Amino acid sequence: MAAASNGTSSGANGTSAALHGGPADNGAVDGLSPQLRAMLAQGKDDVRTSWTVPAKFFNDPEVHAVERKRVFGRAWVFLAHESEIAEPGDYVVRYISEDQFIVTRDEAGEIRAHFNSCRHRGMQMCRTEMGNTSHYRCPYHGWTYSNKGNLVGVPAGSEAYGNKLKKSDWGLRSIPRLDTYKGLIFGSLHADADPLEDYLGDMRFYLDLVLDRSDAGLEVMGAPQRWVVASNWKLGADNFIGDAYHTMMTHRSMVELGLAPPDPKFALYGEHVHTEHGHGLGIIGPPPGIPLPEFIGLPENIVESLQRRLTPDQVEILRPVAFLHGTVFPNLSIGNFLMSKDHVSAPSPFLTLRLWHPISEGKMEIWSFFLVEKDAPEEFKQESYLSYLRTFGTSGAFEQDDAENWQSITKALSGEFARGQEMNYQMGMGVHEPDQNWRGPGVAYPLDYAEANQRNFHEYWMQLMSEAPVPPAPSAPAVTAPAKVEVK
Amino acid sequence: MTYEPEISDRELREITDREWLDLLAEDLRYLVPLRVTREREAVSDVIVGMAHQDDDWDAMEMRVLRLETEYAWAEDPPSRSRHYITNIRVAPGDEAGEYTVKSNLLLYRTRGDNPVYDILPGQRTDTLRRVEGGLLLAKRVVMLDHTTVMTHNLALIM
Repeated sequence: MAAASNGTSSGANGTSAALHGGPADNGAVDGLSPQLRAMLAQGKDDVRTSWTVPAKFFNDPEVHAVERKRVFGRAWVFLAHESEIAEPGDYVVRYISEDQFIVTRDEAGEIRAHFNSCRHRGMQMCRTEMGNTSHYRCPYHGWTYSNKGNLVGVPAGSEAYGNKLKKSDWGLRSIPRLDTYKGLIFGSLHADADPLEDYLGDMRFYLDLVLDRSDAGLEVMGAPQRWVVASNWKLGADNFIGDAYHTMMTHRSMVELGLAPPDPKFALYGEHVHTEHGHGLGIIGPPPGIPLPEFIGLPENIVESLQRRLTPDQVEILRPVAFLHGTVFPNLSIGNFLMSKDHVSAPSPFLTLRLWHPISEGKMEIWSFFLVEKDAPEEFKQESYLSYLRTFGTSGAFEQDDAENWQSITKALSGEFARGQEMNYQMGMGVHEPDQNWRGPGVAYPLDYAEANQRNFHEYWMQLMSEAPVPPAPSAPAVTAPAKVEVK
Repeated sequence: MTYEPEISDRELREITDREWLDLLAEDLRYLVPLRVTREREAVSDVIVGMAHQDDDWDAMEMRVLRLETEYAWAEDPPSRSRHYITNIRVAPGDEAGEYTVKSNLLLYRTRGDNPVYDILPGQRTDTLRRVEGGLLLAKRVVMLDHTTVMTHNLALIM
């Protein structure tokens, strides 16, 4: 895994044995058709030598089926933000592929994620999207669980089971792994996954730039918007991880109207950084001759607290930033942008998290979260909310055009002829060299018109896709220890 | 230009985007609330603090001006869309000279040569204000019958 030749970071820790042992592939030799195996072998070579990626990865039923096991069956996937379940009993229902989890804070304040399926006949325990409850009662036969996941009630227990049902064996199944990083709750279906901290690795340094700016922390306002786009999920992840280039054309209307700075290349002037495990981001300052406020225009009290909380290197990286975009592999993206709510207003920054939830090879559901520091002034929160809403999310004037493009790409790549097509990821070839003076970890390039982050993302994805899972360990216990997170 | 002579008459005809702006009061609020699935006992399924869309007049003008740039890809080429409005109920509004108009909406949308269509059903609650020469739309709340929206963007006026 030499990295220098194509500028993507080494994946040494990405090939770790800990990634084996995901869900079994139902007896197939390695679970891949010869066609997909060949495409992955060529793709892994091409992404390093010719800087291309097979286009068919973006719309193929087999790719989707394998991805569910090898990518979403192994990775740490974002579930929720702690502020969404602030009080004991609060819960939200979240997904990894088709698997639903009740992400809750139990009566003792611990965060848990229970499989949303009754142990008796599989019924959904929560058919709501969010709420507050100390217990879940199954509508089918009435089995009742505490929000710790313990089975506490079985109707007609003496008549039906002679009181012999061992309730302690039949608690709700917990997600195999659950952990948090600075308010973000992640889960993994893979019991032997590397610890979350290792998985995030150097990306934590950059996540802190948005997650750790205030003493009170962030909160999700309201709930995420959810909508369905006929696009492969990777197009969203690919766009946010490093595609500053598209802003010039896709979002030109926003430049012309003044919601973005009056320079079509406004997203060029930044650092393009990626880390191991496929993560990456772009950190963009103001265009030349167009002064913008420091620290993304955050309110004074947040600027004060972030300078206390972050390291000097983090502070100096964040100081000139006006736009920050990134992706935590596989499907969580971050946007922290200084934009105007309309064509007559001054810009106001906002922070959004978005989850590109795969539905099928040609369809995803976008979950778009808006977050703001709890201790930001109320007036700022309102302006930030409006900037977010007018530009991103279901009706946002920026995001509308992205959804249009991603649908169109997915449609174009649906057929067989697409199989012979390579996506060009050669931006920066012979132009950019890694930035030796960069103050942060990872591999950095001094301009954000680059595609090293995208190549790094797809390389790691191909690596996971190529690794056949090892069959699960025998004699798995009937009930695994409930996954929980101590409140920090 | 104002609503004339009666409710929505002009809007029911084909109008340009610019003409749409002329139908709006300066203090316009155009709101598409965010809903989630809750138990029946829950007070409301509407989320406080977030919405799908929350526009004032300036925001609406921004959307119209955007369509006039050469880069509004979401609606260029434009969708073919049609609003089906039924069950119109008119009541006096909170202020003198205002009317509250509720109606059912079915917005049909197709794009490109794709025969698959999107539909957005919901309820509109409009506040119409009588001004000299007609009526203006002062407020529209569109309560969609979705929690997960099934079209790829809300680039259309509902």
